[in-house]
Amino acid sequence: MKAVILAAGEGTRLRPFTMSRPKGMIPVGNRPILEYVVEALVKNGIKDIIMVVGYRKDTIMLHFQDGKRFGASIEYVVQEKPLGTAHALALAADRLGDDDFLTVAGDNLINARLVTDLLERHDGMSITVTESENPSKYGVVKVEGDRIVEMVEKPDWKMGNIINTGIYYFPHGMLEHFRGRSFTAERGITQVLAPMVKEVRMTAVKTKGKWIDAVYPWDLLNVNAQALDSQGQGVRGTVEPGTVLKGPVFVGAGTRIRSGCHIEGPVNIGEGCDIGPNVVILPSTSIGNGVQIDSFTHISHCLIMSNAVIGSHSHLSRSVIGDGVRARAGTFAASDSCYVRVERELFKLSDVGALIGQDTRVGARVVITPGTVIGAGCRIEDGAQVSGYLDNKSIVV
Amino acid sequence: MCGIVGYVGERRAEEVLLDGLKRLEYRGYDSAGVAIGASGLRVFKDKGEISKLDASVPRWGGHIGIGHTRWATCGKPSQRNAHPFLDCSGRIALVHNGIIENYLALKKTLVDEGHTFTSETDTEVLVHLLEKHYRGDIHAALVATLKEVKGTYAVVAMAEGEDRLVAARKENPLVVGLGVGENLLASDVTAVLSYTNNVLYVMDGETAVVTKDRATVYDASGAVVERPPTAVTWSVEDAERGGFEHYMLKEIFEQPTAIHNSLLGHLDEIYSGAVLPDMDVASVKLVACGTSYHAAMVGKYILESLAQVPTTVELASEYRYSPGTGESPLTVLVTQSGETADTLAAAREARRRGCRTLAVTNVVGSTIARETDDVFYTNAGPEIGVAATKTYTTQLMAMYLLGLRLGTMRNALDRAQARCLTSELRAIPRAVSSVLDHASEVEEAVDMLVPARDIFFLGRNINYPTMLEGALKLKEISYIHAEGYAAGELKHGPLALLDSSTPVVAACVMDHTREKMLGNISEVAARDAPVLSVGTEGDNELAAISDAVLSIPKVSPILSPVPLTVVMQLIAYYTAKKKGCPIDKPRNLAKSVTVE
Repeated sequence: MKAVILAAGEGTRLRPFTMSRPKGMIPVGNRPILEYVVEALVKNGIKDIIMVVGYRKDTIMLHFQDGKRFGASIEYVVQEKPLGTAHALALAADRLGDDDFLTVAGDNLINARLVTDLLERHDGMSITVTESENPSKYGVVKVEGDRIVEMVEKPDWKMGNIINTGIYYFPHGMLEHFRGRSFTAERGITQVLAPMVKEVRMTAVKTKGKWIDAVYPWDLLNVNAQALDSQGQGVRGTVEPGTVLKGPVFVGAGTRIRSGCHIEGPVNIGEGCDIGPNVVILPSTSIGNGVQIDSFTHISHCLIMSNAVIGSHSHLSRSVIGDGVRARAGTFAASDSCYVRVERELFKLSDVGALIGQDTRVGARVVITPGTVIGAGCRIEDGAQVSGYLDNKSIVV
Repeated sequence: MCGIVGYVGERRAEEVLLDGLKRLEYRGYDSAGVAIGASGLRVFKDKGEISKLDASVPRWGGHIGIGHTRWATCGKPSQRNAHPFLDCSGRIALVHNGIIENYLALKKTLVDEGHTFTSETDTEVLVHLLEKHYRGDIHAALVATLKEVKGTYAVVAMAEGEDRLVAARKENPLVVGLGVGENLLASDVTAVLSYTNNVLYVMDGETAVVTKDRATVYDASGAVVERPPTAVTWSVEDAERGGFEHYMLKEIFEQPTAIHNSLLGHLDEIYSGAVLPDMDVASVKLVACGTSYHAAMVGKYILESLAQVPTTVELASEYRYSPGTGESPLTVLVTQSGETADTLAAAREARRRGCRTLAVTNVVGSTIARETDDVFYTNAGPEIGVAATKTYTTQLMAMYLLGLRLGTMRNALDRAQARCLTSELRAIPRAVSSVLDHASEVEEAVDMLVPARDIFFLGRNINYPTMLEGALKLKEISYIHAEGYAAGELKHGPLALLDSSTPVVAACVMDHTREKMLGNISEVAARDAPVLSVGTEGDNELAAISDAVLSIPKVSPILSPVPLTVVMQLIAYYTAKKKGCPIDKPRNLAKSVTVE
């Protein structure tokens, strides 16, 4: 059986963290989200994978190559324009042969259990569904027994909390509804399926498997924590005497944890990092490759991407730090409940620190108000206090 | 190496053959051709790449044919020497991969018997032998022909009026692709995968007869070989190039990872003997060829500045024949492949002179590693594109690590400075990534270079060798004449060559030579030469005097060659691409040069 992974979209609502990679390539637990998707398929014996790629496809292709490293055989189909998931599926159609197949969104954290449930309980065209606290962001389905009777994309009225996860079992015949259509505007798979619910039996498969989505940058903190939950521990690098490691802590090759650090897992630290002395890292934190964290810095529940440098005497909690961010001594991003405005929407968040895009430079003694989104390539001068939403390449003096 | 394909079935043979040849192009690329059975045998061949053939080959609409892409070994690349070959009557066509050792003797006999040869190749004797033995059964003729031939081959032949292809193999690869109502023959499975995943491998000494409905393999005695087909599970779609158009582009984009891997473990251990054991180093000599030589030249600046150790750089091919001075510097041999003949000979010479030797190479277990006292592996991963990219930037990493190691060993670098530099080195993969994020800007900027016949690359100080490397990359793959110059030397010659049709690429980063570089750029601009500058981001002064400007992130001047080199690689790549050059396989060049 083959599977199609839809990974062509950018995930614009996650900006600035999609500046140089699609949503599926954002690292959580130090591995791209897409890797968890591939792993979930491979664990269920699905090794023939067709990935539909588009935005920054180079990052996906370089990471997965032909898939051998992940126990899979991956073919790529390029979607040149963002014309939606229905178009993406139509592009993959010719590679699918005559068998039934799965279609999986490439930008949600899932585990093998979810795929197993779908494979065991599918009946004709089947859609994996889950309950959501926030159904209005997704496609909502109305179910009678296990049959789907109505599908509405992002309804603005209350129609239940059962949402479509974007993971489908497709009987081969269903492909005819996608193949050979002409696509001019963005069109989702659900837009094609929704009008057919009366004639075609569509089964809802409820799952106890893991399905976690990140829609906005702060959602990455939860996805990261969930990814870290399922990870092992081990020390490949050097941990100097006087360091305390508690719980599941992973330290990558070539990384040095200097003396006097206190690290409480789940924490995953990548390769070639230099941490400490006397740094505190609390759950649930992941730190990418080549990161430097200087002495007396306190980090809790953060996602820190590769090649970032965090100066001494800094405090970061519930924050997402992009690749190559350089924060000088005394950078403060303490988390708290806050309001965040992204474009025209206002969000009330319970506990978030700073969200800082790649390559931004933060000066010494900078205080970042909870819920601040700082774009990529910004420059924050020494002693500044920042809040709100800063566009890419902003300069704060 | 050459590549061959054959097709018999219902599709239009030209299209299948051209598609197969494109996939085999990596095996050779100086000329190509096809022979199609369509009311008689029709042949079309030409010098150059397959895409050229694709555009010009007439579509005769036959359903059987053979094709070939050639990399000249016997006879120059030319239309005349391209395969397929026809016999005198024009009724038999043949393609061949391999070498016929006794072709001169065979040719003489055949000429005496009245056969007319049209090429300088060894292959042509095969088709005339087939003609000689042909009695209406091309397979019987092939078997008889091979009895007279000494050498290696994979051949595919066809005769007018026979709806089948015949093939034979000895020490050159050959597979049969088994389709439904169609069958293919090829040097490599990649050429048949678009049509079928079932293949039959032909073994040494065997011959094969392939019609559209069946493929039969015979052993040397003429008995039928029963061999089940093999199912190929991997896909054809650019698996190896990871979806990139060229290996070179893929390898350019792999550099952040390659650089991370080359540094891994070493930044943590600059005070220990991981790079080099403790020793007294009074001077250093760096020896290399080609691109590695440029890495060595950058290395000279790095070692002198970090370790304050007198350093000289020599070309391996010159060093071997130079007089020794009686000193015994630490001799560092830089070779990507570890097999470069000149560098290997230099290593032996260095040891003969009593020097301690250190190899910097990418290939674990390569010959150079056995010829030297110490080895530093750059861990760049396999590089397939002929133009070195990631192996070069990881060689630079080796130079930084060696500089840090010698600097701390000689107390030229205190711990605080060393820590600053390791901290910056750790983040250097990100500086490269951010250059790559802006690759499209480079693609636009090179428009001013594409039409040029000559281009000058100017830099100063540590970025003078970087610009030599930039010029070399451009020459290698775009075939534009390019020269790297130390900007200060401009007024001692090259200025005379500048005019509005000679663009200049200038490196001008924020370091102690910036003011002088700005002056040089103004001099160039005053001669109407279009200037493409590469500088530190946010340098408005530079932008104001340049026709176009590209930027690198802010890094210490000593590290600037790394992101700058990546810009140069992208400049070369996009220029060559816009000129339509065969980027992964520039003419006349090979990846590893094992001849002296």
